Amino acid sequence: MTTIGQPLDRSAVPSTPPNFRWLRQIGGTLLLLAFLALLWEGAKAFARANNYALEIGGLTISLSNFNNEQLPHLGDIARAFAEPAGRGAPPLYQFLFSQAMFTLWEAVRGFAIGGVFGFALAVLFTYSGLMQRGCLPFVVASQTVPILAIAPMVVIWMSRAGARDWAVPMIAAYLTFFPVVIYTLRGLTSVPPTALELMQTYAANGRAILFKLRLPNALPQIFTALKLSATASVVGAIIGELPSGSQDGLGIAVLDFARYYNQSPPRLWATIATAGLLGIAFFGAVSIAERLIVRWRAEESD
Amino acid sequence: MTAIISIQNLNKVFRAKDGVSVHALENINLTIKQGEFVSLIGPSGCGKSTLLRIIADLIQPTNGTITVNGKTPSKARQDRDYGFVFQAPTLYEWRTVLKNVELPLEIMKFSKTEREARAREMLRLVELGDFAGKYPWQLSGGMQQRVSIARALAFQPGILLMDEPFGALDEMTRERMNNELLRIWTSLPEMTVIFVTHSISEAVYLSDRVVVMSPRPGRIAEIIDIDLPRPRGAQTRDLDDFFHLSSRLRHSLREGVGAND
Ligand SMILES: Nc1ncnc2c1ncn2[C@@H]1O[C@H](COP(=O)(O)OP(=O)(O)OP(=O)(O)O)[C@@H](O)[C@H]1O
Ligand SMILES: [Mg+2]
Repeated sequence: MTTIGQPLDRSAVPSTPPNFRWLRQIGGTLLLLAFLALLWEGAKAFARANNYALEIGGLTISLSNFNNEQLPHLGDIARAFAEPAGRGAPPLYQFLFSQAMFTLWEAVRGFAIGGVFGFALAVLFTYSGLMQRGCLPFVVASQTVPILAIAPMVVIWMSRAGARDWAVPMIAAYLTFFPVVIYTLRGLTSVPPTALELMQTYAANGRAILFKLRLPNALPQIFTALKLSATASVVGAIIGELPSGSQDGLGIAVLDFARYYNQSPPRLWATIATAGLLGIAFFGAVSIAERLIVRWRAEESD
Repeated sequence: MTAIISIQNLNKVFRAKDGVSVHALENINLTIKQGEFVSLIGPSGCGKSTLLRIIADLIQPTNGTITVNGKTPSKARQDRDYGFVFQAPTLYEWRTVLKNVELPLEIMKFSKTEREARAREMLRLVELGDFAGKYPWQLSGGMQQRVSIARALAFQPGILLMDEPFGALDEMTRERMNNELLRIWTSLPEMTVIFVTHSISEAVYLSDRVVVMSPRPGRIAEIIDIDLPRPRGAQTRDLDDFFHLSSRLRHSLREGVGAND
């Protein structure tokens, strides 16, 4: 018999084991990190060899930004993590870890508030063209106002309202709701016309269309937004801490170590590295959730 | 036999924003009896899809009367009297094959056990029982279209509306699918099928009657009775009558186009 039209089981076709992809990904990241480290230390070595000044055609360019004050050795930054954070204090990494957890808790609350609010707005805009035309410009405009300008206002409002603990999360939410609105709206409305007509042939109600068609259709885009929001919420929390009068958090640590920069430059750099790692970790957590939930996507055959 | 679909003096004019209007259907009169297999054939743009979509209440006629199961198309749609098979499979990529077939049953509030039992039965009917757990992208185009047929049949509608369901398939697969469709239709004797196609042999092979349409404006040029014996199979295509009916259909299509040029 002919095999045309016979079941074709593509899953039986051997493909590269997924671990290889992981390995390649990790390998690529390590390679990039090694390259950046080389660049960092190379620039420092070059500057020192030239006595931190370069003469080109009678013009002297200062390379003092590459000295150990301004740009510590990577090894010194790594070592700073293990050294005490202050006289008689536990090691810096312990201190930074607890500050990072404090900031993360603010960021997570902001992420949740911004995510829920952004999602609700997107659903509202999907069903009301009037609301979309009327409000979407303000949503966009809200992001042109610098967060640093708004943060003190939010701190004052939330303190007056007796919810001081929520000031920083609200500032983080301000940054996170925007991508969620934009991407979710696009996901909910970019439904193929025939997919919608199919629902009509079943005389499906609006609820079924939202939950069985629009929402699953939007999920990949929602996760794109959540990944952006995850890193934005960490940035928002750190910036929000600056005017908040808080005692804790990575933002406060940045302020403190900047004030005492001359005593120990690597500490500030260690704090900056911690902030970066925190953002990456949150991003990674959302990516894992995406992998678990958006499972239907065809594996790239690369 | 009772008339399941009755169309009188039906017109459809599309008015574009630039003011140019298209007379997609002009004075359509058509009655379809219960259990009939009727094909709509005609050149591209003659209004086949438009007619099918009016029957399905996906678009409204400009004027004329139409009843489906003795009701307005809107009421028939609300009562879920028909299943619709689109030209593209239109499966939901986030659902497995089984869950895709269950979709109409979920919306119609069938119990979980009944949903699964019926969906599995329909998948067996289209010979995809082993693929229940796969996602649509893991299936070939022909298999996806079979899933969409299983989905349309899952809630056992009395009417099956099909818009060029096999248009994208190669000739061999298409003939296989034709046989499967006839087998399913025979096993559900009450079911009426309205089938849009571009293929003359497909129309003759499947149908009780073929409605030949001509374009600009879209109208019914002729309705041809196909009195070939059933059950039909490979031997049907070798009958003299099969050739005669095919060539008659071909002439009718040619005239329909020529009359307006
Ligand atoms: N939504 C629409 N708006 C404007 N014009 C339309 C619309 N839908 C169809 N038409 C026009 O109506 C005519 C009939 O279209 P229809 O899709 O019914 O043709 P068809 O017979 O199904 O063609 P095909 O075989 O290519 O699918 C065409 O001229 C088309 O341009
Ligand atoms: Mg068409």
